[in-house]
Order: sequence, then structure tokens, then C-alpha cells
Amino acid sequence: MSMTYVTIDKNICTGCQECTKVCPVDAIEGNPREAQEINTDKCVMCGQCVQKCKSYVSIVSHGNDAYEKVRKERNLPETVKEPLFAAYNVTHINEVIEALEDKSKFTMVQSAPAVRMAIAEEFGFPLGSLADKKMAAALRKVGFDKVYDTDFSADLTIMEEGTELITRVTKGGVLPMFTSCCPAWVRFMELNYPEMTDHLSSCKSPQQMLGPIFKTYGAQESKIKPENVFSVSVMPCTCKEYECNREEMKSSGFKDVDVVLTTRELAYLIKYKGIDFANLKDEEYDSPLGDYTGAGVIFGVGGGVMEAALRTGYELITKKAIPDVNILSVRNYSGIKTSLIQVGDLTLKVGVVTGLKNVKEVMEDLKAGKLNDYHFIEVMTCPSGCVSGGGQPKLLEDTDTFEAIDHRRNSTYKHDENLPLRKSHDNPSIKKIYKDYFGEPNGEKSHHLLHTTYYNGKTKKK
Amino acid sequence: MEELRLGKYVVGDTSKCTGCKACEVACFAEHNKKTNGVGKTVGTVTIPVTPKLYVTKGDGFCVPIQCKHCEDAPCLNACQKDAICRIDHKVIVDVEKCIGCKDCMMACPFGAISLLPLCKNGKVVAQVGCTDTQLSASKCDLCQGIDGGPACVRVCPNEALRLVEPEKERKEKNIKSAYSLSLTKSFGKEELK
Repeated sequence: MSMTYVTIDKNICTGCQECTKVCPVDAIEGNPREAQEINTDKCVMCGQCVQKCKSYVSIVSHGNDAYEKVRKERNLPETVKEPLFAAYNVTHINEVIEALEDKSKFTMVQSAPAVRMAIAEEFGFPLGSLADKKMAAALRKVGFDKVYDTDFSADLTIMEEGTELITRVTKGGVLPMFTSCCPAWVRFMELNYPEMTDHLSSCKSPQQMLGPIFKTYGAQESKIKPENVFSVSVMPCTCKEYECNREEMKSSGFKDVDVVLTTRELAYLIKYKGIDFANLKDEEYDSPLGDYTGAGVIFGVGGGVMEAALRTGYELITKKAIPDVNILSVRNYSGIKTSLIQVGDLTLKVGVVTGLKNVKEVMEDLKAGKLNDYHFIEVMTCPSGCVSGGGQPKLLEDTDTFEAIDHRRNSTYKHDENLPLRKSHDNPSIKKIYKDYFGEPNGEKSHHLLHTTYYNGKTKKK
Repeated sequence: MEELRLGKYVVGDTSKCTGCKACEVACFAEHNKKTNGVGKTVGTVTIPVTPKLYVTKGDGFCVPIQCKHCEDAPCLNACQKDAICRIDHKVIVDVEKCIGCKDCMMACPFGAISLLPLCKNGKVVAQVGCTDTQLSASKCDLCQGIDGGPACVRVCPNEALRLVEPEKERKEKNIKSAYSLSLTKSFGKEELK
């Protein structure tokens, strides 16, 4: 099934080509001052063009009725009043609205770590205001039956990916291992370096781990038939909708994640339901699939997955408490960062690549065999990780970009620091799900639900 | 400080402008923060985008067109409602007095004024006697009362806009000319004799 995820409206595009400067894969094509087109054979759907585009539907250029026409064409609810731009991501918000109104559906929602660092901006709060508890309240008020959390499955990812790394290092698997949380990065690998995809961790992303859990363990916990579960995720990302539509993402026996909303689309939904976000009282996420540690939180920033994995990996290997949970040497604002981490007798050589524009030289080095001494490399497509994702609140003035990213990052680390538990393996609900359901990390059940395969140049294209 | 004798204005460079409209969006955002609750992100906007400068496409170029704050301003002279006045060498529209007659729009030789919806408290204002939207003259005010100076100049990703200070620039040119004369004086008539 061919679907469009990120696109450019030819009637609105002025051909300024500012988007081509931020596209990490040169997928935007066209002549200057003419409407541009996205080459879907190259596009990784990161949505940075959506963030950049300032060519809006204008009364002066397009007439009085153009706004309503475009809003309807894009299937946006009538409560949307904000400017519409030439580059946009296709929304599926109406499917969520329908499911929330359908009494036969049991709706479960998850939201990614970076969403709570930015959603409040859409309601006039300062850039990077943490709104974890207000967002939980809003999701419940919108009508979701269970308000679960991707931060929980980020912790679960660490258990699976950490175990996988230890196995690859100690038993001789393909190294370096690359993270696989970012679907745009995975897509980039499959499109450009399919022969190297065995370097990717076999772990699904946190979104795609929690999806099948909703329709198996989650359905059991709520005593609901899995076919009645409607699984929604809220992501800072325009590529996650593509990820959930990948053919193999049906390991629960159903489509694991039914619809993805971006952070901006969640704001549309909250406004559509007439909820006064600013005055919501704090609420908690539902247990057990909404319980999380600080390690899950930092998935939203560059170097976060690496840091979370090291916090757990250190303790699993050495059986000792890590001297300092703050591993500053892997925190990465953007670009490429490498470091050596001492884990007992083992010296781990790790890399963090933030911003897909930086990955090409890494891949060429990998091809040339120059990275053979590396163990683990994190790659995130967006310029500063998920806090700067294509689905995040869009700035009216790009001169605010640094402040926005800086504040969202600071809120992420602050949230991590303020949580009582900061290591994934300490999460009691993670312990419980292994005891009650999965058995052990990388066990048979987790391989079925939590791991995946990639196009390697020979297998069927995904 | 030297007294300002002639008004400043913003001018665009056709060789640098890509036509991205970042200037229009920033102009709108800055002018609607206080009155219409516009914040830093797109989602805080509840009203149509009403810029005070207009990105214009020509054959093979683009550039925003904005008010030159004329010293003998045709718009000001044309307005019968005294809705346009000069404050600190800036030609400013008072939207409360504007009736949307379009005289200023017709008078402006540069097309720097358009009539756009009037908005208050995050909503479009309707006319008194009917539900039609109230329109008022929308033109550059050089970001009067807004921190950081003209927003369009500040946000342009290609540095295609600049604030012209005509009197200062003329004096600088005078100094350059005078300097070159000082170097060439020895080649004056006296020498040829």
C-alpha cells in the first residue's frame, strides 16, 4: 500500500527552496521559484521541511476562501484556525476522533518522551515547559480509556537492546550495533545501505514495542478482547505513521498501532474537544504500562538512548551500581560524538550521531571497515533528536529554534533528575512484565512481539 | 545624540530574497503577541495571518515590498479620517479610526498597504451592522514598540532585508567622496600650470 506521509502543496509552495537546505537526504526537487516536489524514493519522512516551511495559505495571495478549502482538503477539524503551510504531514486525526466516539472500541494511548516537553507551547506556555501530568489529564479528558506511555516501552527497549548488545559483544555478533528507535534512520539504512542492516539492533522502536503489548498483555490486564482495542500513539515525529503502517508491524495478530498523531495533532484534538489545557489539574499515567524511569525520558534527546543503555548495561555486566547515572560524555546536542566507557573489565567504544546529515560519513567509514572497534552507535535523524522532531510544535520565527531546543532538552534532563528511578531495570512494572509475561529479555516471547527484521537487499522490500 | 531628520525604512535585496515569507510570518507574529495571544509556536495562532509587508514575485526574482515612510506621505495625505499619522518619523495607521475606504491603498505608489481583517483578543472583528469582517489598512510600522527592531530584518534566513537610515547613509557617502577629493587635490588646476 502506497501512502503519503509528508508532502508539499503545489498551490501554496512559492519555490523558495528553504526546505531543501534542511532536508537531510536531498529528496526535495524542483526549479527555484517553482513549486517543489518530494521524491518519495529518497524521502525518510522526517518532517524537517514541515518545520521549516513558511509559505502559508494567505488571504492576500490565495483569497478569502482558500484557508477553509485547504483545511478541508487536509482533513483538519473545523476548530483548527492556525496558519496552514505548503509543506505538511498527512493527518489521521479523524480516525482517532471516530474511535473515541465509538463505544465498541477500547482506546489505549501512548505518548513519546519528547511530546510532554513541547505540547504546552501550543497553549501559550514558554518554550520547553514540561507538561507530563497536564498531558496525562488531557489525554484522559479527550476520552482515552487507558493513558499509557511510550516512556515505559523505552525502558523495555533498554532491557531488550541492552541484552542484545551484551550478547553481541560477549558471544560475537555483528558490531558495531546501531540503534533502531528512529524509523527515519531505519528507512535511510534500508534505502541506501541495505547490505548493512544487520548492524541495526533487531529491537523494534518503543512505539512498536508498546503497540503489540496493548493488544496482548494490555488487553488481558483490562479484560478486553484484543480486536476491540484501538491503539493510538502520540509522537514528535512525522515518520512514526509510516513505521506503524509497515507490513510486519502486526505481531499482535492485528495492526499493532492503529493511528499515530503528532504533538501538533494532539493539540488539535485537545482544542477540538474544547479542553482548557492551561487549567487542567495534574494527573498520573495508568499503571502498569505507563510507569517509567528517567532512562525512558531521555530517549527524546541526542545521546539519550545511549545513556539509558549504559546505565543498565553497566549494572547488568558488573553487577555493581553505576558510579554516576549522569553520563555526560554521550550527551549530544548535534553532530557526531564518540567516547570510551569503562564497564568493569570491558572498554566500550560508543558513538552518538545526531542529525541524519552527519550519518553519511559514518556509513562510509563503516563500509571501509574503519568502525570495527566500535561497539554501539546511536543514530537520530532530527537535528537535536526527537525534541526537534518534525511533528513537534512549529516555530513562527526560526530565530527561536535554539531556545526551543535548548529548553526542551533542559526539561528532559530535569525530568530525568527529578524522578525517583532513573534506570530502566529498576522499573517495577518492567520487572513485573518480564515475570508475568515475557520471561526474560530476548526470550522467545519478546522475539515474537518486540523484535523485527529489516530489508537487507535480498529479502522482500519493506 | 543627533536628531533624526528623515524616516528610516526597510528595503529588500532582490538578489538575496528567496520568497520564503519568513518575514511575513514573523511580522504577523510580532504584531499579534499582545493583542491576539500569539505565542512562539504556530498552534497559538487563532486568526488569519495579516502581515504588514508583502512578498512580491517578479520574473525571475522575489522581494518583500513595504512602506518607505515617505516624508510627504500620499497615504497620510489621502486619509480623510485622520487614521494615518506620523509618529517619530514613522507613518502609522490607527486601526480604530480606519474605515477601510482604500484611499491610502490607492494613493500609495508602491502598493505597500493592503486591507486585511481586524482582529482582537484572538478573534476576527465583525462590522457593527453585519457579520462581515471589519477590514483595516495594514502597513509597516517598523515594529514600533516591539523589542528587537523590525522582525522581518531579524528573521530573514538570507539577510535579504536591511533597515535603511537615509540621512546616515548619505553622510557616509559624503565622507567617502570628501576623502577621495582630499587624495586627488594635488592633481588640481594649480599643478597643471
